[in-house]
Amino acid sequence: MTSVDLEPTDAGRHIPAKSPARWVRRNLFRTWYDSSITIGFGVLFAWVLVGIVRFLLTADYTILRRNLALFMLGSFPRDQLHRPAAALLMIALATGLAAGALTAHRREIAAVTGVGYQSSRVIDVVRRFWPVVLLVVVLLALTETITPSLIVVGALGLGLIGVWAGRRIRARFRRLAWAALLVLPFLVYFMLAGFGGVGWRGWGGLHLNLFVTVAGVLLAFPLGLVLALGRKSSLPAVRTLSVAYIEFVRGVPLITLLLMGVFAIGFFLPAGVRPGTVTRVLIAITVFESAYIAEVVRGGLQAVPKGQVEAAQALGMTPWSIMRRIVLPQALRATIPAMVGQFISLFKDTTLVGVVGLPEVLSVAQDVNTQPDFVAQGLERLTLPFAALIFWVGSYTMSREARRLERKLGVGER
Amino acid sequence: MTAPTPLADATHAKGAEIIVLEGVDKYFGDFQALRDINMRVGRQEVVVVIGPSGGGKSTLIRCINRLEKHDRGRIVIDGIELTDDIKNIQEVRRETGMVFQQFNLFPHVTVLENVTLAPRQVRRMPKKDAEELAMAMLRRVKIPEQARKHPGQLSGGQQQRVAIARALAMQPKILLFDEPTSALDPEMIKEVLDVMEELAASGITMIVVTHEMGFARAVADRVVFMADGEIVEVGTPEHFFRSPEEARTKQFLAQIL
Repeated sequence: MTSVDLEPTDAGRHIPAKSPARWVRRNLFRTWYDSSITIGFGVLFAWVLVGIVRFLLTADYTILRRNLALFMLGSFPRDQLHRPAAALLMIALATGLAAGALTAHRREIAAVTGVGYQSSRVIDVVRRFWPVVLLVVVLLALTETITPSLIVVGALGLGLIGVWAGRRIRARFRRLAWAALLVLPFLVYFMLAGFGGVGWRGWGGLHLNLFVTVAGVLLAFPLGLVLALGRKSSLPAVRTLSVAYIEFVRGVPLITLLLMGVFAIGFFLPAGVRPGTVTRVLIAITVFESAYIAEVVRGGLQAVPKGQVEAAQALGMTPWSIMRRIVLPQALRATIPAMVGQFISLFKDTTLVGVVGLPEVLSVAQDVNTQPDFVAQGLERLTLPFAALIFWVGSYTMSREARRLERKLGVGER
Repeated sequence: MTAPTPLADATHAKGAEIIVLEGVDKYFGDFQALRDINMRVGRQEVVVVIGPSGGGKSTLIRCINRLEKHDRGRIVIDGIELTDDIKNIQEVRRETGMVFQQFNLFPHVTVLENVTLAPRQVRRMPKKDAEELAMAMLRRVKIPEQARKHPGQLSGGQQQRVAIARALAMQPKILLFDEPTSALDPEMIKEVLDVMEELAASGITMIVVTHEMGFARAVADRVVFMADGEIVEVGTPEHFFRSPEEARTKQFLAQIL
């Protein structure tokens, strides 16, 4: 079973039938027009399905095979590929450690509160991340050597070792596991760029899309938080500035900001400071994203009842401590769905950085069609769906994880 | 009819004064919520405030810990006058606990953390001490076994008792109750009133806004009747329920008794 558990179903509306045949007759062939709709759409579906399957089976994937590294890493030097491989292995290990520590932590809490706790098995994890598993399988099927498969197997192994070790970390050292997770991005960057590697100026492909998304979120979130608080400030100057910023940025298309970032930002910088294109793009995306995050956070702040603040005030808590301990935790919890929606659209919006010349996935998908071997063969019909698959897996996974988190946080509250 | 005792005057406190209100006015826009309130409450005194809805009862006690700002007059709590000075306000709030009609527990943390939060944040108490204190307070309101749960998992009566424990954990000199049982199902009212009665007996200064006349009769040192933003009549419970003098008081008591 691979379907999502939270999808609304129609099952409840039908009278349960005894046999599949009766169910089919009841729901698909009850009247003559039911039957004609069923048959009509059935034929249409079958036709589309057969077309897709035949296309997938007969297509020549050489263009994807030969350019897979380009899709994933852009023009990252091919003699330096051990760097991203090592980074991947380290990410797997750290993620495993954190997941293991989290499981142990949850289990202890469950023991204290007397609630049962079932740790997830490998099959559960596969089910939970099936789109990612699917993508990895597709990618490995397209590789030309055995090395990438070995790296993936190695990453899985290290991840499992991480989980095993993480569960055995003593409670008092668990903070170190979280801290490791915070240091991880810097370590990964060092592995890719340090000692003669390639910094973000030379990154491309999916790697670039992911980097811009993660960096954009990490930079825009604090700024958005400050803007949202600024918008609610009692100081008129702060409030006006925040509102002006938010409303200006939200009224401008991202592509305009990106072009301004690349072509116009130089006017605002001192002579001699010439940031690279990726830096400029990051600035533009942070500016753009922070305005939207500010509005999302504002919605969350409004969802916190006034009585919460009054109760905290009555206890003598300071405004700062009320904001940090009472208002923000509740406000941010309320914003999870909107926030994830924002991050998903940012992930997809990273395709726009192709317009200013950065080699992200979508522009790779177009550019490979100008290679001498593949030019003018209409192979976009392969490369574009491939790019779409990559984005769909990322977006759908985020969406599923957000729903999970929401459900989990909803338990036993309010 | 007995002669009015000194207690029958809102400006007289029993014992040393801890709360003093002089000529307090409060407006919400054009609406005057409090009119020339004069009142003194003594240490260890229990004052019950009754009266029709919209009469200014809640506004009165919300002015005492500055959840509302009064527009005229003086409010002095334990020798500290409430002004715009944020330091004074914080100090008064540290000495004054409040229990709300809607409990206002913090839903995102456990019961124990609800109670330890203020001692840790405001009094800078170490975690361990704060937790010991909190457990003592939860025992006092008779729900230590719920400490690890979240507020949403408790009944209304239990939540309100947690709210009382949360206020007590700051070891305040004064407790303000704003209709603490009005949002409760009938069968839960008693467990909360029992806790409040014990607190009253322990000698903490209390101002209680309530519609529970039984509680007023049994526990109050003085009863204050408010209507239309004014203090209409003040007296001992006996005076109040046997021989009220003012027409508005008689009318109100006739409606609810």
